[in-house]
Amino acid sequence: MENLTKQSAKSKIVGFFSDRGRKISEFFKSLPQRIKTKFAGAKEILYEGNGKVRASMLIMGLGQLMYRQWAKGILYMLVQAAFLAYFILRGASDFIGFFTLGTQESNAWYGIEGDNSVIMMLMGILSIIAIIFYAVIYVSNIKDCYVIQCAADTLKNPKSFKKELAELLNQKFYKTALALPIVGVSVFSILPIIFMILIAFTNYGGNIVPPALVDWVGFDNFGRILTLGQFAPTFFKIFGWNILWAVLSTALNYFAGLGLALLLNKKCVKGKTIWRLFPILAYAVPGFITLIAFKYMFSYGGPINQMITDAGGTAIGFLDIDAKWTARLIGLFANAWLNIPSSMLLATGILSNMNSDLYEAARVDGASAWKQFVKITLPYVLFATMPVLISQFIANFNNFGIFYFLRGGLYMDGYFLASDTDLLINWLYNMSIDNNYYSIGAAISIIIFIVTSVISLAVYVLSPSYKQEETYQ
Amino acid sequence: MGKNLSALVAHIAVIVAIIITLGLVSAFAAGASAGQGSDRFTGELEEGATLRILENDTAIKQGYLKELLDAFNAEYAEYGITAVDANMDQYTDLENDGPYGYGPDVLYQANDRIMRYVDGRHIMPLPVDAIDCLDVVGEQAWMAYSAVSDGQTNIFGVPVNIQGPLLYYRKDLLPENWEEEWDDDENGVCDIVEYWTDLYRFSKQRKEESGGTQFGYMRSFLEPYFSVGYLYSYGGYTFGNNNTDPTDIGHSAGNAELGGRVIRQLASIMDERCIDDSVTTGAYSALASGEFFATITTPDVYTMFVDEMKADGYSDEFIAENLVTADIPKLPVSGDLEDESQGFIESKMMGGVNGYAISSYTDYPNAALAFVNFATSYEMISRRNELLGIVPARSDVASDVGGLSEVINANLEEGNIVVMPSIKENAQIWTPLQTFFQDIAKDPYRTPAEYKYDTLEKIKAALQNVDQQIYDAIFTLQ
Amino acid sequence: MKKIKIKPQKLFNVAITYLIILAVCFIFLFPILWLVLASFSKTGSIYSFDGFFPTEFSLDSFIRLFTDTDLYNYPRWFLNTLFIALMSSLIGTTLTILTAYVMSRFRFKSRKTMMKMTLILGMFPSFMTMTAVYLMMTQFNLINQQWGLILIYSAGAPMGYLTQKGFFDTIPSSIDEAARIDGASNFIIFIKITLPLAAPMIVYTLLSSFVWPWSDFILPQLLLKNKDLYTVAVGLMSLDDTEFSRFAAGSVFIAVPIVIFYFALSKFLISGLSAGAVKQ
Repeated sequence: MENLTKQSAKSKIVGFFSDRGRKISEFFKSLPQRIKTKFAGAKEILYEGNGKVRASMLIMGLGQLMYRQWAKGILYMLVQAAFLAYFILRGASDFIGFFTLGTQESNAWYGIEGDNSVIMMLMGILSIIAIIFYAVIYVSNIKDCYVIQCAADTLKNPKSFKKELAELLNQKFYKTALALPIVGVSVFSILPIIFMILIAFTNYGGNIVPPALVDWVGFDNFGRILTLGQFAPTFFKIFGWNILWAVLSTALNYFAGLGLALLLNKKCVKGKTIWRLFPILAYAVPGFITLIAFKYMFSYGGPINQMITDAGGTAIGFLDIDAKWTARLIGLFANAWLNIPSSMLLATGILSNMNSDLYEAARVDGASAWKQFVKITLPYVLFATMPVLISQFIANFNNFGIFYFLRGGLYMDGYFLASDTDLLINWLYNMSIDNNYYSIGAAISIIIFIVTSVISLAVYVLSPSYKQEETYQ
Repeated sequence: MGKNLSALVAHIAVIVAIIITLGLVSAFAAGASAGQGSDRFTGELEEGATLRILENDTAIKQGYLKELLDAFNAEYAEYGITAVDANMDQYTDLENDGPYGYGPDVLYQANDRIMRYVDGRHIMPLPVDAIDCLDVVGEQAWMAYSAVSDGQTNIFGVPVNIQGPLLYYRKDLLPENWEEEWDDDENGVCDIVEYWTDLYRFSKQRKEESGGTQFGYMRSFLEPYFSVGYLYSYGGYTFGNNNTDPTDIGHSAGNAELGGRVIRQLASIMDERCIDDSVTTGAYSALASGEFFATITTPDVYTMFVDEMKADGYSDEFIAENLVTADIPKLPVSGDLEDESQGFIESKMMGGVNGYAISSYTDYPNAALAFVNFATSYEMISRRNELLGIVPARSDVASDVGGLSEVINANLEEGNIVVMPSIKENAQIWTPLQTFFQDIAKDPYRTPAEYKYDTLEKIKAALQNVDQQIYDAIFTLQ
Repeated sequence: MKKIKIKPQKLFNVAITYLIILAVCFIFLFPILWLVLASFSKTGSIYSFDGFFPTEFSLDSFIRLFTDTDLYNYPRWFLNTLFIALMSSLIGTTLTILTAYVMSRFRFKSRKTMMKMTLILGMFPSFMTMTAVYLMMTQFNLINQQWGLILIYSAGAPMGYLTQKGFFDTIPSSIDEAARIDGASNFIIFIKITLPLAAPMIVYTLLSSFVWPWSDFILPQLLLKNKDLYTVAVGLMSLDDTEFSRFAAGSVFIAVPIVIFYFALSKFLISGLSAGAVKQ
């Protein structure tokens, strides 16, 4: 940790990319071999599979039944029946609908029911996921039957269903445990994201919203963004500020939270529970309410300006149109106010996890409090919270609420439909939701996403908490 | 191997065949089943219908909706038709809810919102012959609810009330000698509440005399709804061709920059609070305490002022006598509040027309129409006026009630209340305008070296920029 | 002699510490203070304040909040929010802890890919995906259903498993291995050994996954059309501009359950964290 100078950090980053490059080229070199091994298994099943395996190829679970694996066979058959029912009832039309995005426009005035393009797209994605899912289960069914065949050939008893179930609680416990979270995340996080990415390749938005029919337009939206003269200058202006904001606010929240935790951890502080209640209060009131409160506090009629004018000063426009940097600072402050409590809670927990022997040793060596903090506390806490820090960075990068509530509704000169405090996400909101250009908004968010995810992924993969997960295990 | 492979292929082929054939069949079937629909307003009431009615919060709070529903349900009990509160947010978006079956059957909203639903056919065009109040509502109000669709002009909503701004002032705070000093036109009404020039002069005086703690006229400029009228008064407009052509944006048209200067001058006699919206909800208590002499707002909040004055200990008689609502003062032709030599023009203000519309997703269009007719009948509208203080769009009720209702109706017909554009693109005008009004209201509070709007040319250029921004927001990405 | 010399310095140190703490508490209290004051002021308006304090105090705002429920049914909103937040918190915490445990303890194909994926997924602007979520819920018939919201909140919770994973990473695997030699399955180890050790982390997760539905207004506003189903956040946002006193009282009262939550669990949350984990 100590010899991590700038130089070594730089070489690390360079190393990271060259490392990636090597890995990618290795991947492609090994690809033929990989495919071969993959297909070797398939080939083996095709050549060696007996009639019962063939039965499973025709109808899922049939081979298993012939091997008297009742429970598994019936389960596979039920899965097959369920999928067939789904395809017949709606899966098939959903799948075709994904490509047409509707042929009949509805006309509610005359009671003519038609196609809703966006729904068709969504259900189309679902049907494709279902098909993939079906293929995976189908292949597993064949493999499973072949494994049974091999066991039978060598006169071993194939694994009983009971045993396989037991495995799901032991060696394969991860499968059991992750099943629900993965399904949940796929449906409610990944599916919407795929939907949004696909929207970028349609003309959805503006006047073309259901009941009007949406169409696929390929890369038109990206072309339009890149050729739009006003786009690039605003993008880079906002991007610069967005990065600055994300770095400053993450650092501020993090270190202030840590500092507060250290302060309240001091032995001389009595009644810690009560003192901690004040930040908790900030945590307990919903963020948007406190932001409204902040906006009022810093407004011309708010208590701060009232105090200033009562003292004979002139009112200050903390958040008004000319207040570029004061507004930015207030945003930083408000965000810190909202987020310090939770980072304090986390830091408190992590600090109490620390080995106090280290401090004892340091104290014997006569290290100052500051030195102890820099050499012992900080590296430890940084290590333990790196992933949290990165996710906080992401959250701050995409912090929509702060400037939406504090200083929304401004379009500044020199910015295309944005103000000088807007973050990329606010700009995106102005363009896509406020102005209804969903497809353009989706295209822009893909661009933003690519840029930001490369940065944060690099940081994450380089971090010791990712590389050396096992340090404490 | 061959057998195994064919089993594999057979399975895949069957699945693929099922998906493709069924998929294509259903796609074709959908196309074939669509025929020409028929007019849904047959005049035959759907028996047993339950209508979900969306009303605004004030109507619910003051008990008007309950009265309306009870009266309607009693009247239509014989058909088994009942109307119920839709129980949804008053600003709910039919475009989002309707197609999926969650919207109301009948909705009461402002004209700009309702007319946004026309393009997507989310609301029904109404059969003109079946609208009872057709002849008693003014032409301008109907204009707000008509649009061209399928090659003909249709009416999409029935106007209920007109939203137009009014001047609220405290009569007891007028100068005692106003009859001698402040009545140049000798019409028995104090000039301060008749002419912006006098209101400006009086406000300046009041602010100076109190050392900046008391004000004459005060109102935030942030809301375009209340500020854009100054531009309209001197020739500006929002969209061309009677607010229907989004390619023609005209906030900088005519001498609109004069309106900008008026705003800048008015801002100087207030204080910094006119830049943001911190006085908007504070105006009620500030008028009650006498900190403000006058402000401008909509007619339906009269009771808010009354409540605040009561809280400050004023008697009912005193309030009725001294809390006065009046028409918006006249503006000087010169566009300079310090120069009344060229005479005066009427002020134009933005307004709106609220009304009922029928959702296209209702199963009971005829019952819904019966409800709309019932709710816009003479009796119900006068009751609405009594309970909610609204300005009725029905001219017969307006003239019977008299007073400001008549004035506002006249203002609408004469074009002094400019109805909010009813086209969808109207959603894009607010942010650019809001930015401009904030900027120009701030100007008097900048140091002279930083002034951004000290000449008419600069104001004009800024307004042109506003128009460009609106144009960009509408068209650049389309 | 030495001790006497140190004492004034120590005293100074303590004084400075308390001074900073007081300042911090003031900063945290101040923005909420005027909400609290406004909710207790008689007129309920922040504009009829005499200086910083209201001219007259009263409980009127709170009484109206709980009795005048025709249009704004605050008690109903409150119960709705409580139900949604509690259920989401319970289900979400279960899923998050499971995910974090598995990601920390197991090594399997595509694990690192999944870790990177979850990180990236968080970078997508969430409001862009709201359209899809809304459309999906209309197709599943989960509009106007509290369970629809609970489903989304709980399904989204495992995305934030990194904090918990970091915690599990600090528990030495030697403990598991000892149990494994005794013949315990991974499931049993998780239930009997890891969970009790992770109690403080569970409490932290419960609290943080309670706070999200508790204060979110975007999703409920999108999915709950019926006023009877509103959560407090949506209800407060739907209040008329002129209802400031109600807004203030409602905003103050919404903090009460979380403060109670905090007091009930604070021991667990703070000191428990260290008690559970094993030192390096």
